[in-house]
Amino acid sequence: MPLETAEYLLALPEIWVLGMACLILVLDLFIRDDSRILTYLMVQATLVVAALITLAVQVPEPVLAFGNTFISDGMATLLKLFIYLVTGMGFLYARPYLQDRGLFKGEFYVLGLFAMLGMMIMVSASHFLTIYLGLELLSLCLYAMVAFNRDSGTCSEAAMKYFVLGALASGMLLYGISMLYGATGSLEIAAVASAIGAEEGSSIVLIFALCFIVVGLAFKLGAVPFHMWVPDVYHGAPTPVTLFIGSAPKIAAFAIVMRVLVDGLGGLVADWQGMLVILAVLSLAVGNVIAIAQTNLKRMLAYSTISHVGFLLLGVLAGTPDGYAAAMFYTITYALMAVGAFGMIILLSRAGFEADELEDFRGLNARNPWFAFMMLILMFSMAGVPPTVGFYAKLSVLQAVIQVDMVWLALVAVFFSVIGAFYYIRLVKIMYFDSPTDEAALQSNPGLRAVLSVNGLAVLGLGLFPGGLMALCSAALL
Amino acid sequence: MSFERIIFYAFAAILVYAAGRVVTARNPVHAALHLVLAFFTCAGLWLLLEAEFLAIVLVLVYVGAVMVLFLFVVMMLDINSAPLREGFIRYLPVGLAVAALMLFEMVAIVGVRYFGPDQVAIPARHPEGYSNTAELGRVLYTDYVYPFEIAAVILLVAIIAAIVLTMRRRPETRYQDPAKQVQAKKADRLRVVKMSAEKKQ
Amino acid sequence: MIALSDYLIIGAILFAISVAGIFLNRKNIIILLMAIELMLLAVNMNFVAFSYFLDDIAGQVFVFFILTVAAAEAAIGLAILVVLFRNRQTINVEDLDSMKG
Repeated sequence: MPLETAEYLLALPEIWVLGMACLILVLDLFIRDDSRILTYLMVQATLVVAALITLAVQVPEPVLAFGNTFISDGMATLLKLFIYLVTGMGFLYARPYLQDRGLFKGEFYVLGLFAMLGMMIMVSASHFLTIYLGLELLSLCLYAMVAFNRDSGTCSEAAMKYFVLGALASGMLLYGISMLYGATGSLEIAAVASAIGAEEGSSIVLIFALCFIVVGLAFKLGAVPFHMWVPDVYHGAPTPVTLFIGSAPKIAAFAIVMRVLVDGLGGLVADWQGMLVILAVLSLAVGNVIAIAQTNLKRMLAYSTISHVGFLLLGVLAGTPDGYAAAMFYTITYALMAVGAFGMIILLSRAGFEADELEDFRGLNARNPWFAFMMLILMFSMAGVPPTVGFYAKLSVLQAVIQVDMVWLALVAVFFSVIGAFYYIRLVKIMYFDSPTDEAALQSNPGLRAVLSVNGLAVLGLGLFPGGLMALCSAALL
Repeated sequence: MSFERIIFYAFAAILVYAAGRVVTARNPVHAALHLVLAFFTCAGLWLLLEAEFLAIVLVLVYVGAVMVLFLFVVMMLDINSAPLREGFIRYLPVGLAVAALMLFEMVAIVGVRYFGPDQVAIPARHPEGYSNTAELGRVLYTDYVYPFEIAAVILLVAIIAAIVLTMRRRPETRYQDPAKQVQAKKADRLRVVKMSAEKKQ
Repeated sequence: MIALSDYLIIGAILFAISVAGIFLNRKNIIILLMAIELMLLAVNMNFVAFSYFLDDIAGQVFVFFILTVAAAEAAIGLAILVVLFRNRQTINVEDLDSMKG
C-alpha cells in the first residue's frame, strides 16, 4: 500500500512540530547561554506556524490516514489550536521563572515541544496504538520535566511518584486494550465500535475490558479514587511545569476520553455511564472538600483540578452531543483559567522565593490592584461566579446533565461547587482584606504582565460572550 | 499429554515461580535475575504461539539491555535493602488477599468459559516457509508507519531526558582539549633556569 | 493442544502477582519498577495469545511497540531514580514525605 502525499499533508502539523523540535534541539547546542532567548523565540515561532498549518490543512469531513491510525476532523483541529495557544502561554509564563533560577535551558522547551507533539498525536488518533504512543510520549516528557530541577529533592520525589503511578495507569489501560482486542478482534477505533455494535447486548468480557480502560483513563485524568499523584506532583514540580501539566494535557485527556469511550466504546454507553457517575461524584466531593484544608496554593489548585475533572466527566457521561460540547467547552476554558492562576504564582515569585503559599497573596490589592483584580476574575471563574466564563461552563454542563434526567447529579454538583466556592473566595478575601506582609512592589517582565492581563480579560470576555466558542465546540463534534 | 503441553506447563510453572520471586526477593539483585528468568520463559511461551520475532526481541532487548540497566542502577546506588523490607510482612496478608481476589475474578472472565477450546478454535500452524519476522516487517513499514515514527520520537525523548536528568559536569573531572594541546609552545611548558654549577657533596 | 484460556490465565496470574508486588513493595522503588515490567509482560502475553488465536498480526505489532516504549520508560524511570538518590541518599518511599496535605 503506497502512501499518498495527501496523507502526509494531513499530518503536516505533527511533522512540522517534530522537525522543528529536532532542529531546535541541535541549534540550541550552538547558542550561548546569554542569547538563549533565541531558542525561546524559535519555539514560539514554531507554535505560531503550527497553528497556521493546522488551519491550512483542516478538512471539512473526517479523513483517516496512515492505515487508519490517524484521523483529521473538526475536533482534532479545534483542540490542536487550543493546545498550541495554552502551551505557548505556558512557555511564556515559564521564561522569567526559569531565567531567575538558572534553569533556562533549551532542553526544557524541547521536551515541552515533544510533550505537545504527544498531545497532538492523542487528539488525532483513530487507533488504540496511536492513543497509547501519544499518551506515553506526553507522559515521558512530563516525568522528565517534573524532575527538571535536578538539585531539588522535592522535584525528584514528585517525579518518582508521578512516574510510578503513571506507569501503573498505562499498565491498566493496556490490559484493558488487550482484552478489548481479544473481544472485538481489532484495534482500530471505528472497527471496535462496529464490532461492539454488531453484538447483542454487552458481553461480560467487554465490560471487563471497559473497567480496566476506565481505571487507566481515570488515573491519567486524576479522578478520585485514582487521584493520589495529583497533589504531590502539582506541589513538588517547579511552578512552570505544574502550569504545563495542569493545562494543555487536560485538553488532550479530554480528547482521548472522547475517542475511546464515545467513538470506540459508544455501544457500551450504559455501562460506562455508571462508572463515570461514581468517578465524577467522588471527584467533586473529595476535590472540593480537601481543597479547603490546604494552605499551599499549588496544592489547593491541584484539588481544584480534581473537582474540575469531575465536571468534565459529568459532561461526558450525559452521553449527548450537547454534553460532549459542554465538556469540551469546560475543558478548554478550564485550561485557560489554570494557566492564568499558575501564571499569577509565577508573577509573584522571584529568585529564591516561591509565592505558592496562600499567605503570599496577602494584601495583593494594596501592592498591585490590577493583578489582584485579574486573580479575582480567575478565582471567580474557577468558582463559577457570573459573569465569568467558569459560570457559563458549569451551567452548560449542568444543563446537559439535566436534559438526560439526572437532576440529582446536577444537584450534587451544585452542592459541591458551592462548597468549592468557599476556598476560592477565601483567597479573594486574603488578597483584598488582609494587610500585606510583603510590601515589595512586583518585579516582573512586561511581557508576562501583558499576557496575564489578556488571560484574565479573556476569561471575563468569554464569560460575557460565550456563544462563539460554544458554537465552535458544537460544530467540531459534528 | 502431548509434548507441547508438557513444554507449556513447564515454562508456565517456571514463569509464575520467577514472577513470584521478583516481588518477594530480599535482595534487588535476586529480584532482577528472577525477572530475567521470567523473560526467558515468557519468550519460550511466545515461541509456542509462533511469535518468533518478539520472543527473540524480548530476550535481546529486555534481558540484554533493560535488565542490564536495572542491574547497573542497583549496583551503582548501593542500596541498603534491610529497611526497605520493613512493612513487607505487615502488608503480606492484605496483599495476598487482594491479589487472590483479583486473580479469582480475572480467571472467571478469561478462563475456559469464554476463551476455552470450545469457544475459540485453535488455529492451524502456519505452513513451512512462513516468516513471522518478514510478516511483521511488512506491516510495520506500511500500515503502521505512523506509529513507527512516533516510537522513534519516544526513543529520542528517552535519550534526551536521561541525559538532561543525569549528566553533570563535575568540576574535578579533567577533560582533554586537543586544540590546546596542539597550540602548546615550548615556552609554556619548559623553563630554563640559569644557575651556577654546584659541587656534589 | 493448548487453549487460549491457558495463555490468558498465565497473563492474569502475572498481572495479579505484579499488583501484589506493587502493594507489598511500596517502599522499595527498584522492585516497584520491576513489578511494573511484570505487568507489561502480562499485557504482552495477552496480546501475543490473542494475536495467534485471532490469526491477526496487529496484536504482535502492538507488543512490538509496548516493548519499545517500556524500554524508554525504564530508562527515564531509572534516570529519575538516580537523581532522587543523589538528592536524598535513599530510595525508600516512606522517607519521601516532604509534601503533606
